[in-house]
Parts: sequence; C-alpha cells; structure tokens
Amino acid sequence: MSRATRALRPAVTPILAIVTAFIVGSIFILITDFNNLSKLGTDPAAAIGGALGLIGQAYYAMVTGALGDPDKVGTAITSPTARSVATAIRPLTETLVAASPLIFCGLAVAISFRSGVFNIGVEGQYVLGAFGATVVAILLKDTVPAAVILVAATIGGVLTGALWGFIPGFLKAKAGAHEVITTIMLNYVAAQVVLFGLRSDFLRKAGSSEPISKVLDFVRVPVLIPLPALRLHWGFVLALAMAVVVSWFLFKTTKGFELRASGFNMHAARYAGMSATGSIILAMTLSGGLAALGGSMAVLGDVTQMSNDISTGVGFTAIALALLAGNRPLGIVVASLLFGALSNGGHLMGIKTGIPADLIIFIEALVIMFVAAPGLIRWLYRFDATRMPKRFDDNAAAKEGSAA
Amino acid sequence: MTAASPTFEEVRPELSAAERAAIRSARIRGVVMAALGLFALQFAIQTMDVAATFSFWVDKQGGNTFTIATQVGVLWLLAGVVTGVAGVIQLVRGPSFQWRRALLIVIPFWVAATFAGLLAGKPANVTIVFAGTLTYAAPISLGAFAGILAERSGINNIAIEGKFLMGACAASVVASVTMLALGPAANPTIGVLAGVLAAAVTGILVSLLLAWLGIRWRVDQIIAGIVINIGAVGITNFLFLRILTKQTELNTPPTVENIQVPVLSQIPILGPIAFQGSPYLYFAVIVMAAFAYMLFRTRWGLRLRASGEKPSAAGTVGIDVIKIRYRAMIVAGILAGIAGSSFSLASAGSFQMQMSAGRGFIALAAVIFGAWNPIYAFGAAMVFGFADASQALLSVLGVDVPPQLLNSIPYLVTIIVVAGVVGRVRGPAAAGQPYDQG
Amino acid sequence: MRLELRDITKRFPGVLANDRISISADRGQVLGLLGENGAGKSTLMNILSGLYKPDSGEILIDETPRTFTDPRQAIEAGIGMVHQHFQLVPVFDVVEAVALGAESVSGPLGSFDRKTARARVLELSQQYRLNVNPDAKIEDLPVGVRQRVEILKALYRKSDILVLDEPSAVLTPFETEELFGIIRGLAKDGTTIIFITHKLNEVLEVADKITVLRRGRVAGTVDPKEATRERLANLMVGRDVELTVAKGPAQPRDVVLELSDLHVRDDRGHMAVNGVALQIRAGEILALAGVQGNGQTELVEAIVGLRAVDSGDITIDGKSVTKSTPRQIADLGVAHVPEDRNRDGLIGAMTVAENFILDTYHREPYSNGIRLNRQAIDERAAVAVKDYDVRTPSIHTYAGSLSGGNQQKVVVAREFSRPVRLVIAAQPTRGLDVGSIEYIHKRMVEQRDQGAAVLIVSTELDEVLAVGDRVAVMQGGEIVGVVDGDDATYEKVGMLMGGVH
Repeated sequence: MSRATRALRPAVTPILAIVTAFIVGSIFILITDFNNLSKLGTDPAAAIGGALGLIGQAYYAMVTGALGDPDKVGTAITSPTARSVATAIRPLTETLVAASPLIFCGLAVAISFRSGVFNIGVEGQYVLGAFGATVVAILLKDTVPAAVILVAATIGGVLTGALWGFIPGFLKAKAGAHEVITTIMLNYVAAQVVLFGLRSDFLRKAGSSEPISKVLDFVRVPVLIPLPALRLHWGFVLALAMAVVVSWFLFKTTKGFELRASGFNMHAARYAGMSATGSIILAMTLSGGLAALGGSMAVLGDVTQMSNDISTGVGFTAIALALLAGNRPLGIVVASLLFGALSNGGHLMGIKTGIPADLIIFIEALVIMFVAAPGLIRWLYRFDATRMPKRFDDNAAAKEGSAA
Repeated sequence: MTAASPTFEEVRPELSAAERAAIRSARIRGVVMAALGLFALQFAIQTMDVAATFSFWVDKQGGNTFTIATQVGVLWLLAGVVTGVAGVIQLVRGPSFQWRRALLIVIPFWVAATFAGLLAGKPANVTIVFAGTLTYAAPISLGAFAGILAERSGINNIAIEGKFLMGACAASVVASVTMLALGPAANPTIGVLAGVLAAAVTGILVSLLLAWLGIRWRVDQIIAGIVINIGAVGITNFLFLRILTKQTELNTPPTVENIQVPVLSQIPILGPIAFQGSPYLYFAVIVMAAFAYMLFRTRWGLRLRASGEKPSAAGTVGIDVIKIRYRAMIVAGILAGIAGSSFSLASAGSFQMQMSAGRGFIALAAVIFGAWNPIYAFGAAMVFGFADASQALLSVLGVDVPPQLLNSIPYLVTIIVVAGVVGRVRGPAAAGQPYDQG
Repeated sequence: MRLELRDITKRFPGVLANDRISISADRGQVLGLLGENGAGKSTLMNILSGLYKPDSGEILIDETPRTFTDPRQAIEAGIGMVHQHFQLVPVFDVVEAVALGAESVSGPLGSFDRKTARARVLELSQQYRLNVNPDAKIEDLPVGVRQRVEILKALYRKSDILVLDEPSAVLTPFETEELFGIIRGLAKDGTTIIFITHKLNEVLEVADKITVLRRGRVAGTVDPKEATRERLANLMVGRDVELTVAKGPAQPRDVVLELSDLHVRDDRGHMAVNGVALQIRAGEILALAGVQGNGQTELVEAIVGLRAVDSGDITIDGKSVTKSTPRQIADLGVAHVPEDRNRDGLIGAMTVAENFILDTYHREPYSNGIRLNRQAIDERAAVAVKDYDVRTPSIHTYAGSLSGGNQQKVVVAREFSRPVRLVIAAQPTRGLDVGSIEYIHKRMVEQRDQGAAVLIVSTELDEVLAVGDRVAVMQGGEIVGVVDGDDATYEKVGMLMGGVH
C-alpha cells in the first residue's frame, strides 16, 4: 500500500458520505421538480433532460457561488481593476467568511468531544458570545478608541460564552447533570436572554420594533483585503490560528493529555491522579469560550448587528463537521471550508434556480448521518469492512461521555 | 447557626453524617419556608387595597361570567399563612416531612398572588388561562409520552422536535391534498383525519430511522437525534419554500374544531375550561391513562421497562429486546407525529417553517420533569402550559412582564431537575446504550 | 433429564473458543466444569443457553438432538441459567424480576397477574428454603440473596437442567456452603446441575463428576473421589502448577502504612469501612482477604486518596495522608494496581506508551509541566515493554486491544516504574491465566524483597494463602482477624470471612 493511499484512507468514509448526501439531495430536487415531472407522460426525454439539467444548473450555481464565476475571473485577469478583482474573488472570500464561525464552533465541539463531554450547547455559547461582545461594544461606545473597544468587546464576548459553557460543565462535574440535557436547555435560555436584552433601549436599534441591536458601525474587525465590498476580515486568520492552538493544546501539552485521558476514561484518569471534574469544567469552559470567540468575530466583523438570527444553526453544523473531521483540528478547518462553501454557494443556487438554499441543511444532516454510521456507507457501497481504518480514536470519547 | 430554631436538640453521636445532614437541611428548609411566609405577609400588608378580580366563563367561552373579587393582599395573606404553616410543620417533623408534596400546595398560592399582583387591579379571565394551559399541554404531553416510551425501552429520544415538525408538515399537505381531491363539498373531518394519519405515518418513519440508526448501525443516539432534528428543519424548509409558498392550495388544510364533550361540557366553570377543547387534549388524556396502565400493570410494560433498565436481563430470558425497542419506537412515532399535526391543523391552520419552535424540547423537558412517568409528564406539560398561557394573558392585558422570563421556565426547571437541586430523578439505566443480542 | 453436548465447535475471528467439546450429565447429577479464564467455559454456556449458535456439534437432551436459536428455546427445553453477572433488573421487585419473560397474564390488555406470580415465588422459596422476600426490591438485596433470586428464576421456569456460572464468586464461604446444600437438594429431586468454576476445592466438594477444559478443549474428565487438587490443576493448566508462591521468609522492618480507627462511607452513604486499624511494614506482604463488598474497595480507595475519609487516620511513613490527593499520595511512593483494570487502570483508547505515563506525564522527563516530550515518552515505553515482557505489536497500539494479562503487565510496569515504598494491589490477578498470575505474584514478592510494604486485596483464598506473609480478614467493614502466614489455613481464614469469629 503506497503512502498516498494510506494517507487518503481516513478520508474515504467522509468523501463517500458527502457524495451520497448530494445524491439524496438531488433526488429531492428531482421529485419536487413539478415542471419536468408533469411532462414525464407527454415528453419523457425532455422531462428527464430538463430535470437533470436543473440539477446540473443547481450544483453549478452552488460551485460558482462558492468559488467564483469563471467569466468574472476572466474579466478580472484581462482588465484588473479594483472593482473587477473584488467581484471575481468575492464568492471565495464570502466562503471564508461563512467558514470562520464554523471553524471556531467546530473546534469548540472537538475540544468538548475529546474531553468526553457532549457539548450540544455550542449554538447558545456562540449566540451569547456575540451578545456579550455587543453589550460591551455599545457600553464603551464613544468612550475609548475603536481598537480598545474591539479588544474589550471580544474579551467580553469570550467570557460570556465561557460562562455559558462553564455552567453545564460545573453542573455535570459537581451534580452529575447530563450535559446533553443541560446544554440543549441552555441553548433556548440563551435565545431568551438575547431577546430579553434586546428589549432595552440601550441595546435595541432606535425605532425598531424587532429585537435587533444598534448597528455596530463604530467598531470593526479589520478587513483582510482592502477592496470594495469584501467582508473577509482577520477573524478568519484568528480561526486558523485557533485551529493550530487547539491542535497543539490537545496533543502536545500536559493539560491536553489530561483532557483526553479524562475524556476516554474518567475513572482511570482519576486513579492516575488527574482531576476529572476539573477536566470537564475546563473543557466546557474552553469550548464555550471558543464558540463565543466565533460569535464575537461575527458580530464585530461581518454581521455588525446583534439579533437571534446571528447564528443560522452554526452550533449544530459544527457538530456535523467535527464528526466529519473525526475531531481533528486540521480536518475541522477543511470541513468548515467545505460547509462554508456549501452554505455560501447555496444562496446563489437559490437565486439562480429557485431551489431553496435550505436544501443544504438537509444535506448537512445526511452527511452527519452517514459519517456517524460508517457501517451504513460500507453497506451501501459494499466494500470490505476489514480493510477500513479503525475509527476507534475519533468519536470514542464522545460516545463514552454520552453513555455515562 | 440554627440554634434558634425551636426543635433544636443535642445531636446524638450515633447519628450518621448523612442523617445529620438530613436534619440540618430539614431545619434550613423549615426556617426558609417560615421566612417566606413572613415575606408574603409583608406583601399582604402592602397590597391590601389593590383589587384582584378573577372571572370564569360559566357555560361557554364568551358566555356568562362568574367573578371572584378580592384583594391582592388577601391572596398574599393566604400564601403567607400556608407557607408559614408548612414551615412550622417542617421544623416539627424534621426530615420525615414530605416537603415536596407540601410545595405542591404552597406554590399555587404564590402563583395566584404574584399573578394578581402583576395585574394590579386589572380583571383577568381565568378560563382562558386554564383552557390555554390544557391546549398547550396536549401536544407537549403527547411528545413527552413518545419520549418516555422510547427511553423506557432503552433508546434516547431527543428527536421529538424533528418528529413534531415533520408531522406538522405532512399533516398539512396531506389534509390539503385530500380536500382538493374530494372537492369542496366534502366533509372536512375526512381531510383532518387523512392529515393526522399522514402525520402518524411520518412520525413512524422518522422514529424508525432513529431506531434503525441507533440499533442497526450503532450510531450514538444523541447524534442520530441531532441528525433528525436538523434534517427535519432542512427538508421541511426546502419543501415549504420550493412548493408550499408557490402552491398555497397544498398548504390550506381544514382545521380541527373544538369538541363539546357530551354532558361534561355542561358543567359550570369546569366545562368551558376542560370539556370544550381540542380533540388533541382528549386524545392526550386517554393516551396518558392507557399508557400509565400499560407501562406499570401489564406484561408489555414489564418487558419494556426491563429493556430500558437492564436489557441483558430481558435478553437472557428469551425476550427480544430489539423487537421491543422497534415497536416502542413505532408507537412513539405515532404519538409524536400526531402531536405535530396539531400545530398545523389546530393552532395555525397551515404549515409554517420551523413552526414547532422548540416545543419538542419542551416535551423532552416534560419527560425529565415528569420522571419518565406518563401521569407526571402530563402534569409537567400543564405547568409549562400554564407558564405559556399566563404569559399570553399578561401581554394581552398590557402587563409589562418580560415574556422571556416565563418562556424560560421549562428550560430552567429542567436544568434544576437534572442538577438534582430538588431531589434527583433517575431515568432508565440503559437508555442510549446499544444492546447486542446473540 | 440427561444433557449431552457432543463435539461442540465455536470459532470467533482469530480464536477457536470451543474445539470439539463433549460433555454430559445424567439426571440428578452434578457436573463440575473446571477451567481457567479463557478456557471456553463461558462460550460453551452461551451456546447451551441459546445466545450463541455453535459452528458444529450437537446438543442432546434425553438423547434427542436440539438446536437453540434464541434463549427462549433453551428455556423451553428446560435449561435454566444462573449467570455470573446477575441478570436481574435492579429497579424491579423480586416477583417482577423472577416472572420477567414467563409472566402470567390476564385480561385483554395482557395485565401482569402479580398475585399468581407472587404466590408461586413464595411457594418455591419455601419449598427449596431459599428464604427470599418476594416484595423486596432487587437493588436493595445483598448479593447472596440476589443469587437465590436467580435460582428462583430457573425454578420458576421449571428447569430440569440448572447451569451455574461461577456462582461462588460473590459469596462468603458460609453462603457457598448454603448454596451447595441447595444444589444437593435440587439434584436429589432430579435436577441435572452444571457447576462452572475455576475453584478446585469447590468442584471437589460438590460435583459428582468433573470435566476440565483447557484452551477450548476437554482436557479430561475425572471422578472427584479419585481426583486431587494437584491433578486437577495440572489438567487445567497443562503442566504442574506451584500452588504456592516461591518466596523466602519476610523480613519486616519499619511501619510504612498505618490505618487507625478508619471510617469510610460507600457511594450510598453507608459506613463501608468501620473502624479499621492496620499496620503494614516494609518488607512484608499483607494479604487482605474477604468476600467482595465487605469494604475492601472503599478501604483501598481511601488509602490512595480517591475516597473521602469519614474519620480516623491514614499515615504513610508517619506522614498523615488522610486529606491528601491521589497525586500527593502517589508521589510518596505508593503504587496502586486497581481492582478493575479496564475501568480504572488503563485507558483502552490510548496507546500503550500513553498509558505508561498516565500518572507521570506532568513530570520530567515526560514533560516540562506544559509541553509533552514525545521522545522521552516513547523511550520509556520501549524499555518498559521489554522489562515487563508486555506482548504488544507496538508501543503505539491501543492498550484496549491487548490481552488481559498484558494489560495488567502495563499497569504493574507503570506503577512499579516510580520509586515504590508501598504497593496497593486490589484483585491483581482477577481474570488472568495461570502464567500471568505467577508472573504478577513474582513481581509482588520482588517488590517486597526490595523493601516495599505490600498490601494485596483478594477474594481468592488460594491467592491470599499463597502470597500473604500475614493474612488479615475483612468482613462487614471491619478487620475480623489477622493471622500469621504460616498459621493461615483454608478453614481458619474461611471461617473468618464468613463471619464466624
């Protein structure tokens, strides 16, 4: 077996999972395609052609929406102006913008899973992080320089989310409260906290009847590429940096060793003199803080206004991609880019073909399903199970945690 | 510290630390209750001149009213006295006092007094609140029964939300299509029944998917539940945006009408609250009674509980645990699907995106708060329903209470319960663990 | 009924668990099935109870071939199992637990007819003098009673063939005697009994016929009247076995571990250790005997800092450690081989190398307090694997994939890698094959001879008598007697374990 195939082995199941999910997605496009379906009786050739054409169009739109339109790229190369270049690379940068919160949240999920804690509360931690950042930013408005506001708001957001992770961690460690239940409930409490906060005139956009905050136009995470209409900011770089930090932390440090040991086997960790309860609390707090950092970057960088719509299910998508990546930080970056591309490309698909971008949510769910059931994939594709790499290390910790 | 309490006595040395702790916490509880009683009396003095007017509809909603007019202070007085008495009994009886039961009596007084205090003299129609409580409780409790069934058989079920959503969508579409097919002259009940049936079938399919992933493919059941919850949002949003927004005739189902229960609906006051309501309510009550009996009194229940507590004990005496789990999941799917249909057929009159709005998780909360017991779970659903209905009333009457506070009650109560603050509840021991049979 | 298994073969991936095994037992006969861990006893029983299907071979009941595809058929054929790990639903009461799967029902809904079931449980309990309260909740019952409930379960199903899998593991010698009485009574009434054990004395005492299994095969069938312990041990292991451990006389020096009036509670808040006072000196092995669940687990956890002490004091080399953390205690030179190595001793999903540093990862040279030093960790693992003869494909293999004996070697190697002053080993040889047992015992004696104080907690009388320089017996949370190693006999220690002072 060559090195290359060995390196690709762990990717076989995820890739097949994604392919299968898209096939199922296509089936749904087909059976809801009433235009072509109605022609099936009279002109089957045109119907089938039309239907397949639609799928092709849809996925093509998704790809160009995620990566860029070849025509526009061509224009940018032949006549490079600031505007044409920006137009050409905008889809790609938007993919990165969409990927950033996913990276933060995916890492948050991975830290908790690796520590044997099943943090389903990343969604709430992300939202509250953004909320915390918003509160601090508005509080400091016009008092200190924008850069100071930026740092303070980020710290405020991270602390808020860390607290929201600490609570279920503490309850699990000290009272044995199952984190799956508490984090699910805290997600909803977080949404209520945000709604409650946005009742006040202090936070709410003047004159609005909707629960949305004032626009944070006085503070902004610096953009990466100074071209018009590009939103990509340093939050993305921070996300990549966090992936490196988390990877180093988990696999190269003593604390990371403790977290993983407690995650795999809390009893043995305790017997070896580690503090299992401390590990649980630390993991949940770090997890909450990371998710909140993502939320803070989003509200201070590209969304610029707080509301409960700040998260489009980022916390749940993060669970999907953490599983997809086997809780490996590098894998999470790759998976986040993929999911970012999907959601970004999905918008263009919706505009161009009328196929709702929500199909992507469904496809995401299918991806998690297939990744979580590798046996199902093997069964579908009838390939030899014994030749598959063992995925023993990846999700075992999470499972052990959830069974406790 | 607590030496001032009247029942203080020298702790005998042979008492274990656990017993000493029980006595200590009983004493603290007693003192706290007594103090709260005094607090209530303090409120009573301040609010003696504020009117509290509660009215009930006697024969039907919107009909004659029966009014109780009193002062907020009187309610506080009652609350204070009851709480104080409970506190004193607690101090006298010590750890043997059934304080949780006492709380069940004390809390309603506080709720009533707080309620009246918030209204500050505005007259309130209580029939709407109680009827609303029950209406809200019906789908929640059905969802909770689905959760109890699954977990008692040994399968974690956090996918109630997804089943609600899928059931709501299927019910609306199939009911609409049925009516389109039958023509405008057809009896809308047929359409409703078709919709409910479709919701039940959808619930079964979703439930079986969860069971299949968990049992056959050994997917962690929490993850399988997340898959279903996310997937349900994705697919229903997709269908709604792609089809239902354009072809609205596919999303205009006949609505479920309230039912007047013969004889019982004529009972004054009680009739308009409980017996002129939605068929879902009666269905939920019947299921509750049947399910409670089946679970605790029949062979089926015995085997179901064994599968969820110690599947190997069932397996070694020849019980097919896997089959029990699949069957339980089928019934759970029916219940959750039907509950889901109530959102589109009874409440809204059409399917809307994400219309279950987290109520599947409130049902999960009711499972836990109800200690995996159908009757208690129905009680839990009513508590959550009451919070919802009173929030609605307060906002209608223009009382400025943050709705988020009352909306958070189910979630906070659940966190408190799983953290064991008011005594721990224990779920089925083997829920979520795969079982290998031979 | 006569039971015969003929040429049963069962293969698992990589293992031939049963290789043409033939055994038989006549009506009213007690067949003792003797074998080490891994000899194939459990597989054979799972085949007999319908949980596994044999690859080949026949099961004959009264000379009629039967095939069981699920447990129900085996039960219907009259086979009743008493599993080693009790198969009782903890939250049920006795009636429910016994009737489960064979419920009497009434009415259209299949209501459980508790009254009939209760009457029958009561009747059987009295008939066989099992003395079980039908309304008690299983989780509140002591293990000895739970076992009688298991026997009730078989009787309730009118089993003619009763299979008992390691039934004495959790019983006191006195309870074991009681059990033997019940077994003899049942056999006299015509029940065929298969008694599975690895304890030589027990088969010799109760069986009418002994079949010994070794590595999935029948090693021999003997008549207990003609058999001796040595002969059975030889058959079981395939070579002569030292039933004692080779060691010189102990040379006790200063006191290392001292417990004074120690009180410790279990998880449910009951006093599990009730006023224990004990001294262990450098250079001696103290074997702590006792039936499972008499406070030994809690005692060990308290000594190593995993469980809070209610009152009393623990000192190591004169220093009080009553309030110390596990790590502080380990740093005093305490090596701990935990009772449940899969749960507490190892992390199966981590590599062998990582498991070697589970309690030293925070120290030089394995880390500088923050960063792990992978190279030092791997070097250490390579040395330990060689020193302790751990059979593993690589130091980066997951510890969970090693055999039980090799896992225990990893644990022992790790614990003995630090300077050792005190060894606490709880059930160090449970579930191991004889070769590994001998190896572990040798290492324990080695530590003693190098001047460590050694505490071995065991429920196995054989082990206690073989390794202990002194034997202490724990019963009901108290030390009920300390016997000098030379004076310790089966009878003496056994009586103390059973509560006969």
